[in-house]
Amino acid sequence: MSGDPVPAAPPPADIPYRVPWRAAGVRIGAHRGTVEGSGGLFRDHDLLVRTKDPRRIDLRMSLRDPFENLHVKRFEQRTSVTVYALVDLSASLGFSGSVRKIDVAADLCGAIASSARRIGDSFGMIGCNEKVVPACFWPATTSRGAEAEMVASLRGFSPADQGTLGRGAHGLIDAAAFIAGRRKLVFLISDFYLPFGTIEAVFEALSEHDVIPIVLRDPRELRDLPRYGLVSLADLETGKRRLYVMRPSLRRALIREEAENAKRLRALAMRFGHPPFEVAGRVDWDRFGAYLMGEAA
Amino acid sequence: MTLAFTHPYGLLLLPLAFLPLFAGVQDTEPYPSLQTARSDPLSNAADLVLRLLGSLAIAGLVLGLAGLHRLGQSIERTGEGANIVLLFDRSASMNDTFAGDAPTTTGGESKSAAARRFLKEFVTTREHDRFGIAAFSTAPMFVLPLSDHRDATLGAIDAIEQPGLALTNVGKGLAMALSMHDSDILSTHGADGGISSRAIVLVSDGAAVIDRKVQQKLEAAFLKRPINLYWIFLRTEGARGIFDRPGPNDMDTPRAMPERHLHLFFQNLKIPYKAFEVENPAALGEAVATIDKLERRPMRYQERIPQKDLSGVVYAVAALSLFLLTLVKLAEVRLSDRGLSQPAGRGHPEEQ
Repeated sequence: MSGDPVPAAPPPADIPYRVPWRAAGVRIGAHRGTVEGSGGLFRDHDLLVRTKDPRRIDLRMSLRDPFENLHVKRFEQRTSVTVYALVDLSASLGFSGSVRKIDVAADLCGAIASSARRIGDSFGMIGCNEKVVPACFWPATTSRGAEAEMVASLRGFSPADQGTLGRGAHGLIDAAAFIAGRRKLVFLISDFYLPFGTIEAVFEALSEHDVIPIVLRDPRELRDLPRYGLVSLADLETGKRRLYVMRPSLRRALIREEAENAKRLRALAMRFGHPPFEVAGRVDWDRFGAYLMGEAA
Repeated sequence: MTLAFTHPYGLLLLPLAFLPLFAGVQDTEPYPSLQTARSDPLSNAADLVLRLLGSLAIAGLVLGLAGLHRLGQSIERTGEGANIVLLFDRSASMNDTFAGDAPTTTGGESKSAAARRFLKEFVTTREHDRFGIAAFSTAPMFVLPLSDHRDATLGAIDAIEQPGLALTNVGKGLAMALSMHDSDILSTHGADGGISSRAIVLVSDGAAVIDRKVQQKLEAAFLKRPINLYWIFLRTEGARGIFDRPGPNDMDTPRAMPERHLHLFFQNLKIPYKAFEVENPAALGEAVATIDKLERRPMRYQERIPQKDLSGVVYAVAALSLFLLTLVKLAEVRLSDRGLSQPAGRGHPEEQ
């Protein structure tokens, strides 16, 4: 892999994420919330004496009332949500296939962050390997400047050089404690090359939030395996070497097992809300948008 | 098998052979995670074999540099045979035919040529025998000590072709043959355990008087060490034989009938003795065949194996390993070199 990554296609102006639940926040934003206010959506009626807002008196409703109470329309206040990106920074994310996986993660975070800023949501990012990585710990903020710094910190992070910390991603469970509280939108960005128990534990820890799992894959991991030849691979997490004498049957078996794993991951993710979105190589922003509007909505 | 090295300090490099076991020979590429990927038994076996091949290649090169060789050695074997000293008469008359003519005039085979022919056959068929060669005419001639070098023995027998010299001095020749056996026993330290038979084959066409003093010495020597004695007497036509009885008018003295008296002297030595009177080449062959039959006793003999340079073998092993490793290297596939024509995602240009 050569040093300077080729710039990705610019992400679309907005990542069209939306939340299918009513956000409990009080800040004005773009999502349906539980608080009444001056939003455009009619919510219910209430008595004028209780709400004390004579601007919204509903005359039709008031005239129909046999008790001659004055009714007031109440509207929903659109609120903002807090968006978090939990990024798996275990050593396996240091893989460079057709692109650096960490760059793909950074692209995703950057796009989500700018989208969140534009519609008034606050965005935070927590990178985790075995522990939460302090350099990539960014609490949610609406500040503009933080966005660039977040992405830069992610791009500058070298997952493969973290020693034993890079062996796994248990920090994701710890990170769940940092973002506890009101329901948030959480993008869980990982390659999900984790023990199944760990993945389940992460989903459980994040179960109070709306979790959108994004699986980072690369065509070089599997699709580009040769039909014949010797391939010597070194596990980025454990450092173990393994030689594969490639032949069509072995290639089929590896691809089949990978597909089975993907199926299991999908079943697990569905239990906690959304099916995972798989990124192969670079992010296909159109497909990502369609996914957010369709499957994940 | 004793192995040795020309440059033993070269073996200091031998631990390098462990290198492929730890470092591996292949060009490895990082891969995100192999925990979920299956481990393939065939591939694991191939991995082990390749590591061992790498070790073998390095070990072979180091051993070759250190100059591995097998030391020369001798293996003790048991076979049938004897230690035989061939004692040749080199007097001038040996070059004549059995008819007493010069070979060129009649076209017949000279006595020495016939003797040479049959004795060479004899030497060739007797695989485990050790032969020594001595010759005598006026004085004894030491030709070849007792040894198992067959080529040298055959060469020495060939050398008898040279024209012979003047007279016949059997006594000194026998003394030399005996001393050859003595020195052989000393030099081999009795390695044969004294069980193998020792023999002297005297080939002559005439006899001479043995001095009384020499006779006594020979008697003493033969008494000390019993040695089988075979006398192949190549009788020239018309000459006196060894079994001839003296006629009524003849004087029965050693000087008058040296053959008969030498025969008597040998008989009185109280050793296994056999005389063959031979009048033509065919009879010579029979005599040799008889000796061949008689001289069959088990003997221990040393088979010598020369020092052998094994560096060629180890270099060959190393070269073979390296060749296989080269083939494997050519079969290697780098994932990062692949897939350039298969752009990922939406079709962004890949790295160059």
